[in-house]
Amino acid sequence: MTDAPGNSPYSLRLSGVTKAFGSIPVIQDVDLDIRAGERHAVIGPNGAGKSTLFNLISGLFPLSGGDIRLHGRSIAGLSPHRINRLGLARSFQISNIFHRMSVFENLRIGVLARHGIRFGLFRPVDRMRRINDETDAILARVGLTARAHDLAGDLTYSEQRALEIGMTLTTGADVILLDEPTAGMSREETARAIDLIRTVSEGKTLLMVEHDMSVVFSLCDRVSVLVYGNILATDTPAAISANRAVQEAYLGEEADI
Amino acid sequence: MEFAIISALNGVIYGLLLFMVSAGLTLIFGMMGVLNFAHASFYMLGAYIAYAVSSIFGFWAGLLVAPLIVGGVGMLVERYLLPRVHAHGHAHELLLTFGLALIIEEAVKLFFGDFPVNYQMPESLRFAAFSLFDTNYPFYRLFIGGIAVAMFIALWLLLSRTRTGIIVRAAERLPAMAEALGHNIPVVFMSVFGTGAALAGLAGAVAGAFYPTNPNMGLELGVIVFVVVVVGGLGSLKGSLLASLMIGLFSSYAVGIDWSLATLFDLAGLGGWARAVGGLITMEVSSISGTIPFVLMLLVLLIRPAGLMGERN
Amino acid sequence: MRTIIPAAILLIALLAVPPFLGLGWQNALVNLLIASLFALAFNLLSGQAGLLSFGHAAYFGVGAFATLHLMIAVEDGLPFPTPLLPLAGAGAGLAVGLVAGVFATKRSGVYFALVTLAIAELFHSLAPHLQGWFGGESGISAMRMPWGGFVFGSLLEVYYLTLGWVVLSILVLWAYTRTPFGRLTLALRDNEQRVRFLGYDAHAAKVVVFTISAMFSGVAGALLAISNETANYALFSAHVSAQVVLHTFVGGATIFLGPVIGAVVFTLFAYIVSDLTRSWLFYQGLIFVLVMLYAPIGIGGVIRHHLRHWRSIDWSRLAAPYALAGVGGAMIAGGVVFLTECVAILFGEEYAVAMRDAGDTLPPFEMAGMSWDPLGPASWLPPILLLSIGGLCLHRARDRIKPLWDAIEGGAAKEGTR
Repeated sequence: MTDAPGNSPYSLRLSGVTKAFGSIPVIQDVDLDIRAGERHAVIGPNGAGKSTLFNLISGLFPLSGGDIRLHGRSIAGLSPHRINRLGLARSFQISNIFHRMSVFENLRIGVLARHGIRFGLFRPVDRMRRINDETDAILARVGLTARAHDLAGDLTYSEQRALEIGMTLTTGADVILLDEPTAGMSREETARAIDLIRTVSEGKTLLMVEHDMSVVFSLCDRVSVLVYGNILATDTPAAISANRAVQEAYLGEEADI
Repeated sequence: MEFAIISALNGVIYGLLLFMVSAGLTLIFGMMGVLNFAHASFYMLGAYIAYAVSSIFGFWAGLLVAPLIVGGVGMLVERYLLPRVHAHGHAHELLLTFGLALIIEEAVKLFFGDFPVNYQMPESLRFAAFSLFDTNYPFYRLFIGGIAVAMFIALWLLLSRTRTGIIVRAAERLPAMAEALGHNIPVVFMSVFGTGAALAGLAGAVAGAFYPTNPNMGLELGVIVFVVVVVGGLGSLKGSLLASLMIGLFSSYAVGIDWSLATLFDLAGLGGWARAVGGLITMEVSSISGTIPFVLMLLVLLIRPAGLMGERN
Repeated sequence: MRTIIPAAILLIALLAVPPFLGLGWQNALVNLLIASLFALAFNLLSGQAGLLSFGHAAYFGVGAFATLHLMIAVEDGLPFPTPLLPLAGAGAGLAVGLVAGVFATKRSGVYFALVTLAIAELFHSLAPHLQGWFGGESGISAMRMPWGGFVFGSLLEVYYLTLGWVVLSILVLWAYTRTPFGRLTLALRDNEQRVRFLGYDAHAAKVVVFTISAMFSGVAGALLAISNETANYALFSAHVSAQVVLHTFVGGATIFLGPVIGAVVFTLFAYIVSDLTRSWLFYQGLIFVLVMLYAPIGIGGVIRHHLRHWRSIDWSRLAAPYALAGVGGAMIAGGVVFLTECVAILFGEEYAVAMRDAGDTLPPFEMAGMSWDPLGPASWLPPILLLSIGGLCLHRARDRIKPLWDAIEGGAAKEGTR
């Protein structure tokens, strides 16, 4: 298939992606196609390389081999901010927010980037109506309007996770990577997070790392299983949970704990 | 030829001296993530204490006592001052030690005056080690180099061959785990800080008797040591050694070289024009030997920003 | 409104009072204004962007030298208005800052600090050898030339010129914090990685902040050059870089005007105290370390903390322990000063001569108009008493202040407003 940039049925295509730290291989020859508009989960036991995979896609680490295409265009070797401008945003496993700035400002930084006002030096930001309105809209979407003027560092854990998701929305990216968005949440908080993720990923492509199979079941169209740096299988959640090899890989890991 | 050999010797020995100070800095940084800005002040403190002690009890007593006192000061700093600012991050640790460096420098001026003191090697060490091309090479230079080498061998054996070394290295990687295994990590950290400070103190006590001992010696050497750390790489002892020797050799050779950029232009037949322009172009390398380390640092930043032996930061 | 009125009063005072002051105070005010601007420019980089620089003397010095060269050109007949001379400093600071910034921002954290220090030392070691640019070891000088109706001969005129530039620069720097890039600067300090994943080129952003900071440092250096009409390579010394760090962090790096507080306090103290003691720099270091240990947010931070909780503070209960702490602090300061001055005298050259004259015994020494016997217990009792009683006072005061503040902050946390 020829991938004309901007005209690909796949939002994200990984081909032969390989990463080694020193002589230790972490990701080995991974092929993965994420269709435009689908919600896709990557699951796998601890240490399988899920976060590394995200770090490769988002440009935090350089690839050791292979290629990654975003909307048909190769993003291998690009810096994180270039990849972001091409339409890919990510969240982090550990809350990665601006702790000493207000919740509103956390989101506004991203909104400004989306509008290309990156190095604006000649107008006060408080007078940029459109920017502030858009920020308010995202605040409302992630349910943090009441906390707008509190310091992000003072939010509760699940509020920080919601802010984290909000920040991935601000830049207007249509491919969103969420790294364990519900980790460490109570059952109630998880349910709310699932709702939030579902609404905000409407019309976008979502790739997420998730441990909790119930989250995967209620959200995702397809699932890939990553074990020891290899993709073991990619299928619908139902088919994956019936998959013998997956069960072995997973149960083996569970039994170890 | 004479120039080449003597400069090489001087350069290596100056490099070893730099390494003696930067090794402690690197050791502390690698283990605790604290960049001790006052480290070069410990070096100066070592020289002054050795001077004060040696004027009463003799040279060797000074050489012995100075590292002990400086090591003690280092331990007190690690035990009582650093933990207070730890919660505010590495920048505040850096600022605190920066303030300590100022205090040590001013305290030295208070006690010893704002001028060089007459700290000299003993007569028994004042002889020529050998003669080369009619030049008598002072034994004391070799003595400085010898002390440095002996110290590294001891340090290396301690870190790689003893139980203490294993605990230190474990504490560096996984402090919580090492503590859970029953090792007293605060004491380990305090000892490492104290050892690093004592090494700087020893370096000061040895080198102060050869190079001038004055209240600027801390800053002067300190800046070069910081360059060594930037050039060498993140907490890497090997990188520090390489960078120390490089800077030692470059500085040593630069003193005797009377080339300038204009010499380069001569090759292109533009020497006359270049000399008319003047400024940086006609500056002889020998007159800017003090600048060589900084230029080297800028080059390394351009080519290998993480330093010669450093990982990405 | 709450900030505009005090600012207006301050500005009027700065405009109206100096003509009635002596030359010494006018000069102190000029230095104070320059130090304030320098600290603010420095804090843009080190406080707001979180990039700690130990080498801002480079940009301050470059600004001064560039201005002097322009002044020499004006002497030779270049028609350039004297009040605009600081533009030369701004331009030089900007250009040098851009190049230095590209290098320095290649590393972050403590390495950044070390690289900036090394870049300043590069200037410091090169300048004495560059006759044409920096005038060798003796430096360069130039005269202020009259322009318009102004002669710029009196210190007062220089003061008003400095005041104008400093106020203008502070307003620009304040406006900067309100712009999108000003907010991005804070974001860089908080979490550089996240900034990159939001589509910003963090390295370029850091270079821009560095350059702007260097530019305003250059303006401060230019004002010094205009005031002194001379400069030499000592402007590049680590001492100058250290001063601005001290001013900024004692004043408080997290508050916009914090650095100004530090610059004002230290410059005034230096003006008053430097005639009385040779140990001023030692005290400065002590004050800095004490602030780092006990109030890392700086004087400005402590003031803001009080203003923020103003309404929940019960002064009737807090006033007494605060006064006790003040007394204790003053006593300890007295004890430390006593001991320091004793050391300065006993280890000084004059005393060494007196000792030799007295046949290698310890003769009495003069301090504060009194004679003290170095071996007499009466000489050492005052500092011991001051230190121990002062320490006791501070300890008692802390035990009483802490629960009161815990209650105030606890109440605030419950309201959910912080």
